[in-house]
Amino acid sequence: MSSIHVAKPDLSEGNVRLGTAGLGVQQGAGLVGIIGLVASAVIGFGGMFGTTPTFLMKSWTQNYMFVLAISLGALFFVFIQHLTRAGWSTTIRRPAELIAANLKWAWVGLIPFAALWLSGGGHVEGSDAAHSNWGPGVLFPWADLEALKVHHPAEYDIVAAKSAYLNSTFFWIRAIIYVTFWGVVSTWFLRTSIAQDATGDIRLTEKMQKWSGPIAIGFGLTITFAAFDWIMSLSPAWFSTMFGVYFFCGCCTCGFSVLIIAVLRLQALGRLKQVVNREHYQDMGKLLFAFGMIFWAYIGFSQYMLIWYANIPEETGWFLGRQIGGWGTLSFVLLFGHFVVPFVLLISKWTKRLSWYLLAAAIWMLFFGWFDLYWLIMPVVPADAMTAKTYMEVVEAHADASTHIFNPLNFTMLAGVGGIYLWMTIRRMRGSTLLAIRDPRLHEGLSFENQ
Amino acid sequence: MTTYETPVPGIEPTESQSEAVKIHGLLAEFESPGAVLKAAEQVRKAGYRWWDCCTPFPVHGLDGAMGIKPTILPIMVFFAGLAGLIAAFVLQAFTNSSGMTVWAMVWVTGYPYLISGKPLLSIPAFIPVMFELTILFAALTCVFGMFTMNGLPRLHHPLLGNKRFRRATDDRFYIVIEARDPKFFRTRTEAFLESLGAVAVEEVQD
Repeated sequence: MSSIHVAKPDLSEGNVRLGTAGLGVQQGAGLVGIIGLVASAVIGFGGMFGTTPTFLMKSWTQNYMFVLAISLGALFFVFIQHLTRAGWSTTIRRPAELIAANLKWAWVGLIPFAALWLSGGGHVEGSDAAHSNWGPGVLFPWADLEALKVHHPAEYDIVAAKSAYLNSTFFWIRAIIYVTFWGVVSTWFLRTSIAQDATGDIRLTEKMQKWSGPIAIGFGLTITFAAFDWIMSLSPAWFSTMFGVYFFCGCCTCGFSVLIIAVLRLQALGRLKQVVNREHYQDMGKLLFAFGMIFWAYIGFSQYMLIWYANIPEETGWFLGRQIGGWGTLSFVLLFGHFVVPFVLLISKWTKRLSWYLLAAAIWMLFFGWFDLYWLIMPVVPADAMTAKTYMEVVEAHADASTHIFNPLNFTMLAGVGGIYLWMTIRRMRGSTLLAIRDPRLHEGLSFENQ
Repeated sequence: MTTYETPVPGIEPTESQSEAVKIHGLLAEFESPGAVLKAAEQVRKAGYRWWDCCTPFPVHGLDGAMGIKPTILPIMVFFAGLAGLIAAFVLQAFTNSSGMTVWAMVWVTGYPYLISGKPLLSIPAFIPVMFELTILFAALTCVFGMFTMNGLPRLHHPLLGNKRFRRATDDRFYIVIEARDPKFFRTRTEAFLESLGAVAVEEVQD
């Protein structure tokens, strides 16, 4: 690779360090986060606006998955660059490493889950108010098989057969494996990369490249099973082998969107000047376009079509729950907002090279990444979906099924979890250089041009 | 290497090439990507239209220096894809969901056929074919559109007969100004290319 432009990068402190520039946003985000969490607790535990413990826990799960997806998407970005020995991305890899490093705290999101188990609450025999009592069954029906047996005997038979996998002990062993793996790997990438800032040692790059292969395998397995455990098992009778890949697409949507937003905001604050340019915008845009929209739609449709075609009640029930009442509208909003509209808006080359346009597209996609998780986690599969004779029978019985999308809890929880996450991310960015200043391939990234 | 007469400033070169061997154009050789980049900029500014650069590897910034306009190929590909999408839908809707008889070279009749209890017009079942035809039309348009716009396939190009030009695949960088360019004048263009720092300027025979 020959470069005729002699790149003179500005590697001064003022360009590669955030300093106090992000302090105001950081503090504001932290404040919004605390207020949001407190408000969510007040609304959720107080049962305001018709919320139930299940609704509160699902809302937590959704927003936890949202920030998790952002960091996992960033982690994917980091190791895929090492795996392919990419030169173009060296100038934007550090922000991705910093976002991914938030995974060190992924275990915190499991505390509410643990609280459910520790609350010791069980089911209420013979009453359909089982879910007004705290306990793991509030969120995970499989964790309270007794209650399931009483209230949904048809579903119980299917779920009980899965107890070799879906049981509390194994669930927690897996959860610990996931968060440990992500925390260790993302921290290792960040630390190794920062160590290279001081020494410029090329062997550090070689080491990261060497380990990226095994890490890719571990990443694929952990996010697949985490998606099974924390999202798919909310409807334990249902299953889709594609679900892990679907969640992976969601990670790419959220992670790449936040990476774009982070880089563009850093540039707006006068950092990473000259270092990141239109060529990098275009390629980040391409990645978002390819993984966050097209691959998402491809996997989402493949999953839908196989289930729609086979038409087996225990599989179709999950989609049925997303077609009744207001959910039918939300499903179309998701289809158009996550795929059709941004596909048209971002397909051209020039759109990905305009910073304001790309920023708007990334914010749009980030919102729909959140919305996708809402659509995955919040709906309740109607109990009669398994036993109904016809599709229309269920549709008519649940014609007034509410989506709760405008429930204030959704937004206070987003503000709470998102605010804390943003606070944490900016804090990390302020404590590190924003560019891998002595990466051996930095010159490739600096002189990178799309052909 | 042939030697050329020195161009006399102020005197318009005579167009007397019809008697000699018809030439394709002038080939100027440069030693570095930087030199060819600077030269390309000057050639563009001089207002030449029928000219090209040949380099052993992609030279960053050369497109900009040459002033190459964005290709219209993406627009063709987009509409071809759209056509594929619509064609696939119409084809399936007609053959699977309607009993209409239409004339498509011969008289054909749709055959509404109920498959596994699905509605006759089931979009989800049509999407894979719509997707495939979108890709097929778009990809074929892309490949053959590119061929057509580049004047391919062709069996021979005058440059390939030039011995000097062989180094275009190794370590030299070339600018070719073709004789059909309205600004092309044998001696003047040659002097111009030499003034750009070409290490050699040579005639390419057609």
